[in-house]
Amino acid sequence: MKKKPLQVLVVEDNAGDVRLLREMFSGEKVGSFEITHLLRMSEAEVHLAKGGVDITLLDMGLPDGHGLDTVRRARAAAPNIPLIILTGLDDEALAAEAMTQGAQDYLIKGQIESRALPRALRHAIDRHRMQAETDLIRTHQMEFKDEFLSHVSHELRSPLTAVRQFVSILLDGLAGDLNPEQRQYLEIVLRNVKQLHSMINDLFEVSGVQAGKLKIELQCTSVTDAIAYTVNTLQGAAASKEIIMLPSEIDRKLPSIYADPARVRQILVILVDNAIKFTPKNGTVKIQTRIFEEDPAFLLLEVSDSGCGIDPDMTERIFERLFQASHAASADHNGLGLGLYICKDLVTRQGGKIWARSAPGQGSVFSLTFPICSLPKLLAPAFSEEVLTERPITLVLTEIGSQTGWLSNEVRAEQCRGIRELLHESLYSDLDILLPKMDSAGPAELFFILAITDGIGGEAICKRIRRQLDSSDRLRQAGLTHSTSYRSLETIKRNSTESKEEFLERVATDIQELMNVEISARQVSNG
Amino acid sequence: MDSRKILIVDDNADIRLGMHLRLKANQYETFFAADALSGVAEAQKHRPDLIILDLGLPAGDGFTVMERLKQIPLLAVIPIIVVSARNGLGNQKRAHEAGAKAFLQKPVNDAELLAVIRQALGEPAGTKKPTPCDQGSV
Repeated sequence: MKKKPLQVLVVEDNAGDVRLLREMFSGEKVGSFEITHLLRMSEAEVHLAKGGVDITLLDMGLPDGHGLDTVRRARAAAPNIPLIILTGLDDEALAAEAMTQGAQDYLIKGQIESRALPRALRHAIDRHRMQAETDLIRTHQMEFKDEFLSHVSHELRSPLTAVRQFVSILLDGLAGDLNPEQRQYLEIVLRNVKQLHSMINDLFEVSGVQAGKLKIELQCTSVTDAIAYTVNTLQGAAASKEIIMLPSEIDRKLPSIYADPARVRQILVILVDNAIKFTPKNGTVKIQTRIFEEDPAFLLLEVSDSGCGIDPDMTERIFERLFQASHAASADHNGLGLGLYICKDLVTRQGGKIWARSAPGQGSVFSLTFPICSLPKLLAPAFSEEVLTERPITLVLTEIGSQTGWLSNEVRAEQCRGIRELLHESLYSDLDILLPKMDSAGPAELFFILAITDGIGGEAICKRIRRQLDSSDRLRQAGLTHSTSYRSLETIKRNSTESKEEFLERVATDIQELMNVEISARQVSNG
Repeated sequence: MDSRKILIVDDNADIRLGMHLRLKANQYETFFAADALSGVAEAQKHRPDLIILDLGLPAGDGFTVMERLKQIPLLAVIPIIVVSARNGLGNQKRAHEAGAKAFLQKPVNDAELLAVIRQALGEPAGTKKPTPCDQGSV
C-alpha cells in the first residue's frame, strides 16, 4: 500500500528560510512529504483548524504574532498536532520555554543539518503519537479504577446491610432476651460493622476525589455551626475514651467563610475523628478558630490533640493517598488511609490550605484555612463610581419551600440545586448581584439578589423571577414552592466624607443585617 | 384497625427476612418480591399500603418497577421508599423524580426506616409504640 504523504505546515515569513527548508526535503522520496507554506499566524490558525496537518514548523516572529503567543495560538487551533519551533540562535531560551507550552522540539535556523530535518519531523510525530497513546491508556486505567472502586463499595454494602439488620434485631430483643455478655459481644459486632461502613464510604468518596467529582457548592457558611455539628456527632466516640472535647470558646462574631457547608462538616468530622482515634484515654481534643494571622482574608481552623503525635518528616506525607503511619499499633487505628487525602482535596478545592505540625509524643495540630465570605469584595464591582450616586437599589428575596412545609436538611442541597442558575438567568444587568447563599437551617431556602437596575421597579423584577421559577419543571416535580418579594434600599448613598472602602463596608453591613433579619424571622416563626 | 400492608422488593433474601422481622415487630404485615417483574405482580395482588423498593433487581430495576406502577392507576398512588446500596445524589434525584417518597442508603438505620415509613403512611410519630431500635448513626 502506498503511504500517504506527511502534511507539513510551515509558518514562516522569511522567504529565504522557507527556500532553505524546502531544499532540505529534496533528498526525500517524491510523495513522502507535502509542504504547505503560510506567512501569517492568522492564516495558520485557519488552516490548522481545518485539520489534515500532520506536523507544524513554526517561526516565533511573525507579522501578526510573536513569541510564546504564537505557540499558544497554534496549540489552541490544533491541540493534537505536533509542533516544532524554528528559532534563531539568540532566541534559544525562548524556544526552550516554548517546549513547556506544548511544543515537541525546536530547531535553530542555520544549524539544521539538511538530512536531519525529515528525520526530526518523523520522530516528533512518533513521539507525539506515543505520548497521546500513553495519556489515553492512563485515562482509561483511572476510569477503570474509579468504576471498580465504586462497584466494589456498592457490592459490599448489601451484605453489610444484612449483618447490621440482624445484629440490631438481636440487640433490640426481637428474637428473645439477651444476657449481658451476649449483648456486650453484639455491641462489639455492631461497632465494627459501622466502622466497615465508614471505610466503604471512604472508598466511594475517593473514587469521586480521583475524578474531581465531589461537588462543591460555595456559599456563606458558618464555621460555628460546622463545629457544633462535629462535636455533636463525635461526642459519643470521645466520651467512650473519656476524652475531653473542647470546642474552646468559639467567637460568635467570627465571619462566615465562603465554602460548602456539607464539605466543611465532612472535613471537620474526619479531622476530629482522627484526633480522637490517636489520643489515649483521658486526653483532650481541641477545635479552635480565629482570623489567619498571615492573611486576614482567611479564617484559620485548628484541630489539636494530646495524642501520640506524628514524626515531623511525615507531616506532609500523611496527606497522600493510602498513607498509614507505620507505628499505628493500637487496634483503634484502622482505616484505609483515605481521610486526610479527601480532606486535602476538599480544602484545596475550596480555596484553602491544610497542613500539620507535630512531634512524636506531643500531640498534633492540624491547621486549615478557608476564604472569608466578604460581602464588600463581592459588591465592589457593582458600586463603581458612576453607579454610586444615581441608581435605585433593590434587595430581592426568593424563598424556596416545599409543599409539605419543610425542606429536609439531608436533601435540601440536592433539591435546591439549579435554582441559582434559574435566578441568574432572570437578572437584568451585569451589575445585579446574586448574593452568596446563606447556610440557613430554616424551613425554607433563601436566595438574595441585589438589583441595581436603572428605572425598573422592584415589582417588575419580582414578576420576572416568579415567571422564570413558574416555568421550571424541575421545581414542580420536586414539589417545591417559591415566593419572591423585595425591599427598596433608598438609604444606600455615599457620604461625601467616606472613602469608597468605608462606603462598601457600610453597605455590606446593612445588607448582611437585612439578610440576617429575614433569615431569623423565618427560623423563629417556624420554631 | 387492620395492620398496614408493606411490600418489600429486594433480591437479597436475608435483607427481606431482616426487614420482615423488624416490620412485624412494629405491627406491619409484609409481602415479598425478589425481582422487578414479581414486584409489580405482588403489588397488584396485595395492594399494599407502602412499598420498600431496592434499585438493583433482576428482570429490570427499581426504576422499572416505579414506571410500571405509575401506569396502573390503582397502584400509582402507593407511596414508595427506595432503599438502595447505590450511591447517593444521582440515584436519589432520579428516585424522587420517579415519584419515590424517600431514598435511604444501605445499610439502613432501622429507626430511620421506621420513621420514614410512618411519615409516608401519614401515621403520626407516636401512634404505635415503637420497638427499641439501633439508634446509632453511621
